[in-house]
Formats: sequence, structure tokens, C-alpha cells
Amino acid sequence: MFREIRSVVTGTVYQIEVTAGDQVKLGDDLVIVESMKMEIPVVAEAGGTVIEVRCNEGDSVIEEQVLLIIDSD
Amino acid sequence: MSSNKGVQDPDAPRVDLAEVLAAKAQTLDENRPEAVAKRAVTGHQTIRQNIGQLIDPGSFQEYGQLAEPAFKNLQGPADGLVMGTGTVSGFRVGFMGYDYTVHAGTQSIINHAKADRFLQVVETLRLPLVLWADGGGWRPYENNINSRDYEETFAMMARLSGLVPTVGVVSGRCFAGNANLAGLCDTLIATAKAAMGMGGPPLVEAALGLTLTPEELGPAEMHEACGAIDVLVTDEQEAIDCVKRYLEYFRDAGGQPGPDPDTSVLRNVVPENPRRAYDVRKVIEGIADQGSVLELRPKFARSVVTALAKVQGTPVGVLANQPMFLAGAIDSPASDKLARFIQLCDAHDIPMLYLCDTPGLMVGPEAEATALVRHSSRILNAAINATTPFMTVILRKAYGLGQYMMGALPLRPALLVGWPTAEFGAMGFEGAVKITHKKELEAIADKKTRLARERELADELRAHNTALGLAGRYELDDVIDPADTRETVIRFLVSLPPLAPRTGRKRTIDNW
Repeated sequence: MFREIRSVVTGTVYQIEVTAGDQVKLGDDLVIVESMKMEIPVVAEAGGTVIEVRCNEGDSVIEEQVLLIIDSD
Repeated sequence: MSSNKGVQDPDAPRVDLAEVLAAKAQTLDENRPEAVAKRAVTGHQTIRQNIGQLIDPGSFQEYGQLAEPAFKNLQGPADGLVMGTGTVSGFRVGFMGYDYTVHAGTQSIINHAKADRFLQVVETLRLPLVLWADGGGWRPYENNINSRDYEETFAMMARLSGLVPTVGVVSGRCFAGNANLAGLCDTLIATAKAAMGMGGPPLVEAALGLTLTPEELGPAEMHEACGAIDVLVTDEQEAIDCVKRYLEYFRDAGGQPGPDPDTSVLRNVVPENPRRAYDVRKVIEGIADQGSVLELRPKFARSVVTALAKVQGTPVGVLANQPMFLAGAIDSPASDKLARFIQLCDAHDIPMLYLCDTPGLMVGPEAEATALVRHSSRILNAAINATTPFMTVILRKAYGLGQYMMGALPLRPALLVGWPTAEFGAMGFEGAVKITHKKELEAIADKKTRLARERELADELRAHNTALGLAGRYELDDVIDPADTRETVIRFLVSLPPLAPRTGRKRTIDNW
């Protein structure tokens, strides 16, 4: 099942921890969004395979914006 | 009726009683299949079905079941308001619910008289009140009847504030007078089908020329986001379960202990990297009995979390900063959310637990334009004038006036402890050294070197203001193993004096 992984806050993409094809498990940090000088982890809500990363480090993102797509187990 | 007097069944009701029983039966769902079916079309239960699932069987003493609309051309069992005393899981309550199958749950001359009478009973007996609020406000058909517009319902509902717990449910369309009663409740539960507003679609069309359905005008998700409702649930069944859960927090302390949570997770909830956010709800779950946390207003003012919970069966009100949003900074909505929650807990003697991790109050022209000066003051006003005991755990950041408002020493917590990750400051350390070492830092031309020096200075300051540093200056009662937080809360609860018997109101609760 494809899942859209969204940013919980508005901010800047600080770090991308995965690339397409990576296997991730539940609770893994996928992307770190910086907001209010804090690093907000966007975590995997389920294990699976990263299908597509839809952001770049330094990008401005808004709340609920899709950051990547995961094919969950 | 049998006319055969000679062989009358001695157990059969006499004519006078039979007449009463027949009149009562007419108000029941089984004799109103069309009304029940109509309600089912929109996926709703009837008010009597909801009562059947909420109130313990056989405990409901109905008031005014035989009342009829003042306008004799109208049909209306109980004149559209079903109310009475009863118990919910053995806990005594007053219940009042508008019947949407009777003229869309509207408020009428007679049902206002009923409500006025019943709210007086609720006040006298100090009964916790459950209000099912769905309905369309004033019943316009009754405008033709001579009456004095002197219903006291809204005033009497407001008089209950802080005297007894009040919880409202909205599961469908709820406008005008009905919404007013909902807004007067301490806590409001709404289902996904709820549509609520002070002025209904006809008024909006007349005043603004906008044609909107009730669901477009006041949808449930909107009310969840703006903080008008406290809990959004899927359907009426969930709403009933939520009311049952909610009332449990207002029983006397010493309920059944719930299952222990996994407290070991608390050692690693706060990341080593001080800039890394975490979900503070994990901390609450690691302290409270499993399944006992009921978060209020979760989608509103998300930089703070307010939740009712139980620790070994004892109700506790939890107030926490949420680093996931605004870094846990307190803005105007967060101030309002905290202040109302403090009043709710204080009015009903629920001990409080502050979990502090805040960089302080929100800064910037946008934040100030929301009257932050005033809104943030509400927290301190509510907290310092509360007499219900509380304790505070500093999880990480305790900066500025924000931390002061999060249960700091001057607010006289019964117990003030810190996690090893606690750090204190009048302001953030990076910000502070930029001011105190302005000249030195400006003299460093290379940006990278300057940043490194800035971090070095900030770290020096941080080292002085760690949990251990503060404990050494005795500004903390204890520094604890995070995994021991639940045990610490239990010891705090055990230290509290028995509650004095209540005969009246301690304080009112702000509706916002």
C-alpha cells in the first residue's frame, strides 16, 4: 500500500535520512524538518520501502505537504 | 378497554392508570417507528436510544415525560426534551437531551419550562450534568402564542459553571439556543456529523446573503481546529463511551488502578540532540495508566497538550508543552487552552501535573498582535489563584516566562523535579550569549568561527544551568530517572490531603 508521508509542521527541510529504494521500519526518522529552530522528525508510520522522495534539503515546506511516498509492508 | 366488568383481570391496570401508561407509551420509540426511521436515515440514533446506552438500566427517573407543546396543533412527545436523573456506571448524573425527532430539537415554551425546572434540580442536588444539545434553537411555530419570553435556561446553565461537571454532546445539527447551551458546558464532545453555530443558515442568509448548509457553516473539523469542541469522535456510540470515560475523572480519587504503562521508554523520549523535537504525548503515556489518557482540544493550540489521565486510578490533569509544534512555545491560543484547563481541574479538585519543555512565550509581531500580553497573563492568573495541588516535571527546556507559567517554583508546586535533560534560563542560551558577548562575537570575522564560539559560550552557560546545577543551588526538589516519573507522580498523589467535602462552587470555569 502506498502511503504519503507528510510534514507535521511548516518549516524547512533540514535533513533527508533516506533515499528511494531504502527499507524503513516503523518509527524510523525519514526527514527532519526545521521549524522554530527545532528539528522535527517525520517518522515512518509503518515499515516499508521508500518509493519516492518529493523534497530536497533546504526546501520550504508547509504543514501536511507530502515529503515522500512509502510502499508499506 | 374491556367492558366485561365481571371477569376483569385483577392485575390489569385500572382505567385511570391505563390512561397514564398509554400516554407515556406514546412518547417511546417503539410507538414512534416513523420518527425512529427518519432519524436513522441520517445515521443517527434517537435520544431515547442514546439514553438507553448511557444511563444504567432502571436508574432513569424521567422528569416531564408527559409534557406537551404549548401550541396544541403540534405533536411533540415530552415536548422534545428528555431529561431526568440517573446513574452512569453507578455514578449519579442529571441528563438533559433535546429530541431531534420533535420539531428538530427546537426549544419551546414548555420545554424551556422543563429545562428551567430540571437545571434547578441539578443545581440543588449538585448533579454532574450530561447535555445532549442537538437542535435548531427557538421553535418558530410558537411565536404566535402569547407568552413572556423569560426562559431562564441559559442563565441557569451558566450558573452550573464550576459547581458540577458539565459535559455536552453534539451529534448533529446544533444551532442558536441549543449551541449556546453546548458552549456553556465545561467540555464538549462532537461527532463527525456535528454541525454547530450560534446563527443558523436562515439568519446567515438574511444578514450576509450567503446560502450555506448547516454542515458548510459549522462543520465538526472546523470546531475541532478552532477549539470550540474538546473531543471529536466518530459517532454517537463513541460519544457515549467518551461521556462515560469523561465522568470517571470526576469521581472521588481512589478508583481502580489501571494497567501500568511501559515506563522504560521515558529514558529515551527526550533525544540527546537538544534541538531535536519529540512527541510529548509519549511522556504522558509513559506516566498514566494504560488507556486512561483523554486529550482535550488536540487539534487546537498544538504547542501545548491538555489531557485528563489517571495514575493508579487517581484522576490527574496533565498540562504539557509539545515540542513538535512551535518548539513548544506558548502563543495566545496555547495560553487560553492552558488557562481554561487549569480552571477545569481546579474547579473539580483534580490534581495537576505540569510537563515543562518550552523555549518560552511565542515571539514576533504576529504573536504580539494576538494580544499575547493579555492572553499569556491568563495562565498565571488561573494558576496562581488555583488551590488544587500540582507538581511539575522539567523535561528539558525551562526558559523565560513560559517556564514560569508552566508550574515553576513561585507558583508553589507541591513537588518540583527535573529530568537529567532539564536546562534552565531566563532566555535561550544561544540568544543570551549573543547579547552578553556581542562585542566579542562581532569581532570574529569568519562566520563559522563565530558560530563555533557562540555555541561554545552557550554550552558553558548550559553546563551551569543543568538539572544537577539547579539541584545544587536547591532550585529543584529532586532530579529523577525519567523511568521513575510515574512512581514520583504516585508519591505526589499519596502526599495530598483528603478532599474537603464540597457544598458549593469553588470557582467558575471560563468557557474559552
